[in-house]
Amino acid sequence: MSEVLVADDIRRSYGDTVAVDGVSLSVSTGEIFGLIGPNGAGKTTLIRALTGTTDAEGTVTVFGESPKSVQSDRIGLLPQSFTPPERLTARELIAYYGGLYDAPEETESILDSVGLAESADTWYEKLSGGQKRRACVGIALVNKPDLLFLDEPTTGIDPVGRRALWGLLEELAANGTTIFLTSHSMDEVEQLADRVGLLQNGSLVAVGEPDTLIQEHGGTSRLVIEVAEKALESAVSVLTESGYTVESGVSEVVIHNVSPIDISAVIKTIDTADIQYDSLTWTEPTLEDVYLQLTGETFEGTFTPGASVVKEQAAEETEVTQ
Amino acid sequence: MSRIRRIRAEATAGWHSFLRRRTAVFFTFFFPVILVVIFGALVRTQPTEGGLFAEPAAYYIPGYLATVVLFTPLSRVGSEVARYRDGNRFEKLATTPLTRAEWLLAQTLVNIAIIGLASLLILGLVVAITAATLPVTIELLWLIPLIVLGVILFCGVGAILGRLSDSQDGAVAASNTIALPLLFLSDTFIPLELLPTWFIPAIELSPLTYFSRGVRAVTFPAAGDTLFPSIAILAGLAGVIFAIGAYAIPQTD
Repeated sequence: MSEVLVADDIRRSYGDTVAVDGVSLSVSTGEIFGLIGPNGAGKTTLIRALTGTTDAEGTVTVFGESPKSVQSDRIGLLPQSFTPPERLTARELIAYYGGLYDAPEETESILDSVGLAESADTWYEKLSGGQKRRACVGIALVNKPDLLFLDEPTTGIDPVGRRALWGLLEELAANGTTIFLTSHSMDEVEQLADRVGLLQNGSLVAVGEPDTLIQEHGGTSRLVIEVAEKALESAVSVLTESGYTVESGVSEVVIHNVSPIDISAVIKTIDTADIQYDSLTWTEPTLEDVYLQLTGETFEGTFTPGASVVKEQAAEETEVTQ
Repeated sequence: MSRIRRIRAEATAGWHSFLRRRTAVFFTFFFPVILVVIFGALVRTQPTEGGLFAEPAAYYIPGYLATVVLFTPLSRVGSEVARYRDGNRFEKLATTPLTRAEWLLAQTLVNIAIIGLASLLILGLVVAITAATLPVTIELLWLIPLIVLGVILFCGVGAILGRLSDSQDGAVAASNTIALPLLFLSDTFIPLELLPTWFIPAIELSPLTYFSRGVRAVTFPAAGDTLFPSIAILAGLAGVIFAIGAYAIPQTD
């Protein structure tokens, strides 16, 4: 696959604030590249540097040319917090932005693609939050771009709409469209992206395939057992003596590196010790763990983040399913 | 054809957006109507022994037209630039083939249509409710280029104001602050002889002065204003200010 987008040592500052600090990356044809990072990490500024809508130091080439000189119908952009004219209907908006190009996609086809055919004659301001975002994605697609930049494309979209949009993006990528997206939704990036870049304080601190990043930085699987506070000490003691790697929180015990088939053995151990528990939750590491590990961010609570695979509320019901 | 297609798309979107803001439509047309009613009907414009509105009613036609040629583009384009910037629309447009000059031209065309209609309303009202008469001659058609040039000029100024303002409110406040003194100190409603001698050269610095004199040359020839120097200066200023305005429109962050 040829490289569509190449950035070398991109830097952008606003006064004393460094927004992007020496980012280098490349994205190949048909690839979906997901950029994640905390608020203020520099994701939007990096997209602006890559699309030529801000002047940055370093070199960016898009299809071998600078972003400002590349043929504009090859690039599609959905900016962050983008608001089109609000008293145009979804259909008028698609037609309006399509009218800026010589050979746009059919308006009705775009409306179908983003699931707005039935709301096509509703003013943008009257659409729901999710419909608005879908209209914006449609606007980014009007010129049938070869390279699509989407800055938080699914913000505000409900789960069904989100999954429909994921399907659309996967289809576009399968047909050769290169996609560069940012998101705060780790499951979205994990689902869609061929490669992920983690931006922190303007620097790209990790780049790789989601599975590789999870393997390298996500940590181990965990079994979280919620127990009564008075039983916490004995639970830790029993499990440690049984050879498990255990740490304790306020009202839960976290056992590391437990595979699903080992869960019944853990339950048997605490049942034998007559320890009552409220729930069991097994999680495997996800991109969110990678994010938290590399950014050093933590949650307010003590509950272990990640994809919940198993949760049993009643201590008596010890059957665990995956 | 591509350029025409782009400008048409932008202008059509702008036109529909304007028509659907009912309050904006109403006050765009109501504002000059109020002024004509107040200055043309309530405040008598028959000659008296001096003071304001002592000239024949037709003398003030440039002033009435200036209310829309000046105020509407300044506030509309100024706030539109701020609105586009707030919604990251310029960032989006920077990745499309639409240029900044084409965007401003599209906005200007929308303003020309709006102000053209408002001007017809004003002229009709002035004739209907004041003692003014319009010389129905071929020269009256010069009003069209005069209004078009005036709109182009003040759309350019509006773009500059929008660039300099940090919000829509700021753009509207700035445009009103600039427009109000220009409206009264550009050889429109106040004859030069009512101003201090030392101030009169300042009148020549207002671009609206040339619009006013050009319009008066064709609507009230008795005042002795000449059309061609005024329209030539207006055209030159319109070209320069439009170019500066187009350049001022944000293309990046």
